Amino acid sequence: MSTAPKDFVGSHKQKDWPKHLIICAFILIELFPLYMMFQVSFKDNASFLRNPWLPTPPFSVVETRQAADGTETIKTRVADWSEAFSSAKPSDPSVKTAEKSFDLSVYKIKNWNFGLKLIGPYIANTVFVAVTTTFVTLSLAILGAYFFARYKMPFSGVLWSAFLVLMLMPGVANIVPLFSLLKEMSLLNTLWALIIVGVAGGQVFNIFVLRNFIEDLPKDLFEAAEMDGASHIEQIRNVVIPMSGSIIGTLAILCFLGQWNDFLLSLIILRDKELFTLGVGLIYLDGEYVKQWGQMMAAYFIASIPLIVIFLFCMRLFVRGLSAGAVKG
Amino acid sequence: MAFPISRQKALREWKLYFLILPSLLLVCTFAYFPAASAIYHSFFDWAGGETKQLIGFDNFKRALSDKDLWSSFKTVSILIVFNLFKMIPSIMMAVLIHRVKSDRWQYLYRVMLVVPMIVPSLVTLFIWKFFFDPNMGVLNNILDFTGIKSLLVYFDHVFGWNLFFENAPIGWLSQPGLILPSLFIWGFPWIGAVGVLIYLAGLQSIGQEIYEAAELDGVGPFKKFIYIELPLILTQVRLSLVLLVIGTLQGYGLQLLLLGEAGGAGGRGMVPGLWMYNKAFVAGEFGYACAVGMILFVFILLLTFLNNKYVRVDK
Repeated sequence: MSTAPKDFVGSHKQKDWPKHLIICAFILIELFPLYMMFQVSFKDNASFLRNPWLPTPPFSVVETRQAADGTETIKTRVADWSEAFSSAKPSDPSVKTAEKSFDLSVYKIKNWNFGLKLIGPYIANTVFVAVTTTFVTLSLAILGAYFFARYKMPFSGVLWSAFLVLMLMPGVANIVPLFSLLKEMSLLNTLWALIIVGVAGGQVFNIFVLRNFIEDLPKDLFEAAEMDGASHIEQIRNVVIPMSGSIIGTLAILCFLGQWNDFLLSLIILRDKELFTLGVGLIYLDGEYVKQWGQMMAAYFIASIPLIVIFLFCMRLFVRGLSAGAVKG
Repeated sequence: MAFPISRQKALREWKLYFLILPSLLLVCTFAYFPAASAIYHSFFDWAGGETKQLIGFDNFKRALSDKDLWSSFKTVSILIVFNLFKMIPSIMMAVLIHRVKSDRWQYLYRVMLVVPMIVPSLVTLFIWKFFFDPNMGVLNNILDFTGIKSLLVYFDHVFGWNLFFENAPIGWLSQPGLILPSLFIWGFPWIGAVGVLIYLAGLQSIGQEIYEAAELDGVGPFKKFIYIELPLILTQVRLSLVLLVIGTLQGYGLQLLLLGEAGGAGGRGMVPGLWMYNKAFVAGEFGYACAVGMILFVFILLLTFLNNKYVRVDK
C-alpha cells in the first residue's frame, strides 16, 4: 500500500515540540540563578523585598503630600511595574499628586562600586595565582609528557606507574600533613604556596592526557626534526606545541577554572587580608552579620567576569573539545 | 606507543631525564611525602607543633568508637544516594537534546547549557546560600508564591515532622531536620553542563537510520532509551558514577561553605572529610585527624579496587 511511507514521514515529523518545551524549561531554571544575581545586584535590600522577581523599572515617582498642618512634603520613590506602563498612582490616600519620570538612578550602581572595591584586590590575587599556576603546570606537564611519549627510556615504566598511582590516591588525607609541610617551608600565608601546590597537584592529570596526545602525533615529524639536528627542547617547541594547541587550550581552561574555584587550601593557608584569593574573600564577605544582598550579588557578578571573558573567547573550543576529546583522555 | 630504545642510545639521551625531573620532584614533595607523613603521624598524639608522642593504635581505637565519625559516614552514604539520583536529569537532558531533529537547535541548546558555567562554582554555592536564606531567600519566596508552603505545612500536620510551620519562614539551613533535604535540593535542576556534553558525544555515534528502523518497528520513546541510547552512553555513565561516588565520599567543601565547620545545626551535615578538617584546624588534634584521614583513605581505596574489578570502564 502506498500509504505506509506517508505514515512514516508523518510520525517522523510530529512531536518535536514537547522536547523543545522540556529542554527550554530546564535551561530556564538553569539560567535563573544567573538572572537573579544580575537583577538583584542593582537593588538594595528594601527594593529587593518590595519586588524580588523582576528588575526595577527605570522610573521614579515624585509624590507631594499635604500634612494636617498645611505643610507640603515631597517624597521620591521607585515606581512599580504596573506604574511603569500606565500613569503613576499614589501609594497612600494622603498623597496629593504623583508624577512619574524616567530615572536611571533607581539602579544602585553604588553596589558595583562597592563590590569592585571589596573584591577587586582578591580578584587580582586570584588572577595572579591562577595564571601562574596554569602556565607553570602546563609547561612542566608538556616536558614530562614528552619524556614519556617520545622514547621508552629505562625506568620510564616505573616512573609512569608512580604517577598513575597518584590518580587513584585520594587527596583528602593529605591536607593535614601538607599544612605542616608548608609551615616548615615557611610558605604559610603566601600566594606561592597556592601556586606550588597547584602545580604539583596538576601534574598527574595533565601529563596523563598530554602523553596520550603526543603519542598519537605522527612519528615522522619527530624523526625529520631530529635529522635536522633539533634538540629535544626545539622539538617540543616546534613540533609538539604547534600540533597540540587545542588540547593544551582545553587543559589550560580546566586548570584555570580549578584554581579560580579553589578555596580549601587558601582558607587554611592565608591569614592576611591583602593576600586573600577570591574563595576566602567571598567566604569572609558571606560571614558579615548584616547582609546587603545587592552588594554581594554585584561582588559575585564581578567575580564571574574573568570567566565570562574566557568563555566568550573559548566557547567554541570548549563545546567542541569537551564533546570530542574529553572521553578519550 | 613510545619507541623502546637501546641501552646505548638511552645513555646518549640521558639528558631526557631532566624533562621529567621537575614534575617528579614536585609530586614527591607535595603528594608522596604528605601521604607518607599522614600514615606516620596517625600513630602519634600530635598538635601540629614540635612535640609529639607515639601512642600506637590509640588514634584508630578512638576513631572506631567515635560516634560522630560513624554518623558522618552514614550522612555521606545518604548524600551518595542523593547524588546518584541527581545524575538522572543530565542523562535525560542529553537524550532529549540528541533527539531534537534540527542540528541548529541542538547547537543552540548546547551553548545555552554552557552559559551557566560562567558562574564560578564557588559563587553558585553562595547564590544557593542566598536562595536558602529564611527571610529574604528565593526558595521560601517561591514556596509562598506558589502555595506549596501551605501544602508542606499540611503534610507536616499529617505526618508530624515538626519542620514546617504556618507563620514562620522555613529555616532551610538552620533546622537539623531540614539540612539533608537542603543538601538534596541544592543545585536544582541538577544538570551538569560537562556531563551533558560528554553524554552527547557518546550519543553522536547513533545514526539516524537506527531511529528510523526503531520507529518503523513501533518502538516507544522509553524503549528507545533503554535499547538504543543507554547502551551507547553506558561507558560515560559508569565513569561519572565512579567519579561521583569517590568525589562525594572525600568532598567537604560544599558542607563547609553551606553549613560551617561544625556541619550545621545538630551536626546533621557532618561528613568524614569535614570531621577530619574540624579535628585538625578547629580542635588542633592533628594526629587524630591523620587517623581519620587514613580511615577515609582505606574506604576510598576499597571502592577504587571494587570499581576496577567489577565496574570495568572500557576505553
